[in-house]
Amino acid sequence: MATEVKKIVLAGTDDHDLTKLAEYEAVGGYKALPKARAMTPQEVTEELITSELRGRGGAFFPTGRKWSFVPSKEQIPKPHYLVVNADESEPGSFKDNEIMSRVPHRFIEGCLITAHSIDSKHVFVDIRGEYSGPYEILVNALEELKDRPEIRGDVTIVVHRGAGAYICGEETALLESLEGKRGQPRSKPPFPAISGLYASPTVVNNVETITTVPPIIEMGGAEYAKLGVPNTRGTRVVSLSGNVVNGGNYEIAPGMTVRAIIDELGGGIPDGRELKAVVPGGSSTVILTKDEIDVGYDFDSLGQLKTAMGSAGIVVLDDRCCIVQLGIRFSEFYEHESCGKCTPCREGTRWLTAILRKLEDGRATQADLDLLLDVCDRINGKCLCPLGDSDAIIIASYVAKFRDEFIAHIEEGGCPFGGESSLDHVLAPIAMHTHSPVAEVPA
Amino acid sequence: MTQTVQDLVTVTIDERQVQVPKGTGIVETAASAGIEIPVFCYEPRLGAPVGACRMCLVEVEGMPKLQAGCTLTAQDGMIVKTARSSALAAEGQNSTLEFILVNHPLDCPVCDKGGECPLQDLTFRYGPGNTRMTFPKRTFEKPIPISPLIALDRERCILCYRCTRFSESVAEDGQLVAINRGAQSVIATFEDEPYKGHFSGNVTELCPVGALTSTQYRFEARPWEIQNVPTVCGLCPVGCNTAATTREGKVKRILSRNHPEVDEGWLCDKGRFAFDHLHARDRITTPLRKAGPRRFEELSWDDAIDTAEKLLRDGGSSTVTALSGNESVEEAYALAKVMRQGLSADSAVLPEEVPDALDSYRAPLSALREARTIAVYCDEPVVERAPVVELWLKAARRKGATITYGAPDGPVDALVTDQPGLTFGADNVYYLPRTPNGRGVTDAWSAAGDGEPVDGKPRVVVISGDEAATDPAVRAMAADAEIVIGIGMFQESFRGIADLVLPGTSYLERDGTTINLEGRLQRQRRAVLAPVPDVLAWLSKLGERFGVELSPHSSVVFDEISGKCFGGISYADIGERAELPAPAERPSSAERTSDPGETVAAARSAQGLRLVAYRPLFSGPAVDRTPELQFQRPSGDVQISREDAKKRGIRHGQNVTVTSNGTTVELRAHIARDLAAGTVRVAASDAGDLHASVEVTS
Repeated sequence: MATEVKKIVLAGTDDHDLTKLAEYEAVGGYKALPKARAMTPQEVTEELITSELRGRGGAFFPTGRKWSFVPSKEQIPKPHYLVVNADESEPGSFKDNEIMSRVPHRFIEGCLITAHSIDSKHVFVDIRGEYSGPYEILVNALEELKDRPEIRGDVTIVVHRGAGAYICGEETALLESLEGKRGQPRSKPPFPAISGLYASPTVVNNVETITTVPPIIEMGGAEYAKLGVPNTRGTRVVSLSGNVVNGGNYEIAPGMTVRAIIDELGGGIPDGRELKAVVPGGSSTVILTKDEIDVGYDFDSLGQLKTAMGSAGIVVLDDRCCIVQLGIRFSEFYEHESCGKCTPCREGTRWLTAILRKLEDGRATQADLDLLLDVCDRINGKCLCPLGDSDAIIIASYVAKFRDEFIAHIEEGGCPFGGESSLDHVLAPIAMHTHSPVAEVPA
Repeated sequence: MTQTVQDLVTVTIDERQVQVPKGTGIVETAASAGIEIPVFCYEPRLGAPVGACRMCLVEVEGMPKLQAGCTLTAQDGMIVKTARSSALAAEGQNSTLEFILVNHPLDCPVCDKGGECPLQDLTFRYGPGNTRMTFPKRTFEKPIPISPLIALDRERCILCYRCTRFSESVAEDGQLVAINRGAQSVIATFEDEPYKGHFSGNVTELCPVGALTSTQYRFEARPWEIQNVPTVCGLCPVGCNTAATTREGKVKRILSRNHPEVDEGWLCDKGRFAFDHLHARDRITTPLRKAGPRRFEELSWDDAIDTAEKLLRDGGSSTVTALSGNESVEEAYALAKVMRQGLSADSAVLPEEVPDALDSYRAPLSALREARTIAVYCDEPVVERAPVVELWLKAARRKGATITYGAPDGPVDALVTDQPGLTFGADNVYYLPRTPNGRGVTDAWSAAGDGEPVDGKPRVVVISGDEAATDPAVRAMAADAEIVIGIGMFQESFRGIADLVLPGTSYLERDGTTINLEGRLQRQRRAVLAPVPDVLAWLSKLGERFGVELSPHSSVVFDEISGKCFGGISYADIGERAELPAPAERPSSAERTSDPGETVAAARSAQGLRLVAYRPLFSGPAVDRTPELQFQRPSGDVQISREDAKKRGIRHGQNVTVTSNGTTVELRAHIARDLAAGTVRVAASDAGDLHASVEVTS
């Protein structure tokens, strides 16, 4: 079966409790670290470049190249920082949760190797505040290393719990938040590699990326680059959820088709329903119709369909799903999570949600649909960071691929699915926090 | 300042080629090509650009997306298209404006900003003509007084974060913050406390919409019925360049006029808001004669000049003139000429002695920011004495300067001091005079005569200015004199001490010149007519009685002094943004180095802590008469150095007891980093009867 893949990130988890240091060492853990430390930082970076590993957070930037941008301490005499983005908040993605929970030591080993490679003594893991489970496991794992100076070296690892903002998963907003400031993206350049945390050279990597580093050092970059398909090497941990029998995280070989992921790994659609659409890489990625799922799950193949692996959150939607409701659910999310810094995102996401609600309520006309697309157009490409763009891109993709359904909402004067939509079982509703924006200031 | 060819890059903007230094912002680059890129959030004085508002979107060849012009820097060969030549950029700007207006109340007809509003202007030029938003707009409670001085309208706010960036990175008070997220983001004060600080008013001017408005100006005027008179603030020795907005003969607000060497466009709240004193209830509008211990009666101008002549003749050459340092150079000179040439009354109480040697250490305030090492040797807090200097110090610190407080260990680039004559071998010395025009008044007095003061107890004392009249030392001298003649604006200042009071005018009501702490000669212009005749007008009449020829016109009086004091510069040549004369030649090295005066050294070695009872910025006759400023007065703090606090186990904000010789005052400890060990500071109004040496206990 095509599902057979040699696990790399989650290797060993089938028969071992790798949260325990002893067991991790028993399966060869912490062996890559001395090997890497015996190499020069440049050699480690070279190895990563050879491996063709690309960032697993969603932007898919070549990891080794990112590291190579960090200037030497002679060029910029400031401390170097490694910041790990564990603020996994994309609707549909929960892979980092599982990685930290099941292979915390491999993750830590990755942190230590990366720190060596960029000549850093300080690692900050910014973990999503709600991830209390992985946090505990991570802290326990670090606790186990207290008496192992030969592993820790002179590197300090700080696990910082986020305060619950999606935007703090954007790397520069994450850095602002770590510095104790309001979590809002910075404008780039300067890029973090030059001026990141505390205006010092900083590498920001995703949990899965970092956890892939020790196996790469172990097997060698060239060996890793033999796995997968061009532009998507190694393995990928995907989060499968929605209307699928066996939801969960799966480590897959890139190139496997989306259909195979759903049918072979996920066990197909439950209740004898029909597939309607697939969100391939978390809420921010362009939707796939049921006719498009024979696409390989890799960067190039998805790219041809103008979508992406993103943070690998695959959400399966069956024929009960109302696409307008899906749009409202996601647009509400982006509206709620917009940081408020740049105008198009702050105002545009709110406007999009309002138009979508009007459509769902059956009060909209064709002009509103045109307006919806125009507002998407006016947001897209004009924002400071990708958050607002994402909302615009996905909503536009829903209209493009399911225009008939939008038209039906207009012509039938309401939602054709009525109360039948299955969305509540697929995606958690966005808790609309009650803000109290009006503060009374004593004069 | 020469740019080598290598430093320059060529950028094409809308098919115009310009050469600019590499790294120049694209907004500036376009400006140098004569092309405007509209902005809201961009304001270089607030630090690094943030790229928040997206008004400055431009198309750059080779870049797939529109770029924010404010955060982009010039690179060689860059080809930029603004909205003028790029449909994409034009659509981007139009989009930004549409989004900004989606929730904006569009209440321009009742908005104070209407008519001088960047949002209004840019919408007319780049924005959509109508709205496509059919949903209820976001609403907030409004207006919210974030202090008695400033009203916040959150519906009008476009979240450009200029105000919060000012608070965070210019004033460094951290009081204005953004709270909540996304479309619910609003500006608020930290912990909802009133925005109290020396510079809060600047946010009303930074705000590009009508979200932060001055409560004083609220509903007072519309932009098409006002005049902005360029002048110079006369309330402290910085001499910030201001514009007085007037409507129907009344000052309605004060704006900054940005002199980049003096104030960089920032004003303190005293300079911005204290103009209300012009309309004080106890304003003196006619000459007054003492008619009882606490009572005045009015008299006619003819009687007043007759009486003044008689009293002055009685006093003769022993008459002492007490000057406040708030006079213009011309007023001080005219008074000095009458006294010195008409009566040979050469005795004066000058606001301060300013050594001429300072002229050789002269430098613009903006040079402070470039200094690498700065020593601040001041008893009084810099911010209370010359507020904007504190902003320059903060700017220097942000740029990496080392600032030390107290006597420096080694040579420094710049010295800021309130002790005249100290240099500590610094390259630039900024002496902070006590009074706004102390230097000019001192120069004017010496230019008007060269007679020697006669000894002996004066029979007659002339007090010029409300500040002098409220100075305890001057009042003590006046109490000893037989006759006191006052010149001033407010009855309360002179009640009980003056036998005759002649009406004075404010710096906003006169033409004249002043010299600021840098030694910069600047012109004040009459913004409004005073309710009383000009001081020069009646002084010239009084001068006639003593055979002293005096013009009632400040320009003529100035010409007379200019030759003696200012190198013969003409009144017209001073200009709207006055230049600083080049420093005078340095005195020989023997004179160069000087140490703190013995008295200071002695005081420092004394037992206990040396108490400095400072005069707060928010005090004095003008502030007393501005109701909105009262909340800004210092409230019961004792400033103590970190070292002294640690020794005594005192924490910041803790209640402490300050004692000296049996006098006890309860105050709140404020650990100040601009204070050398051994000294504590208390506002004069809080100091009560404390002596110069105190002890602080928790």
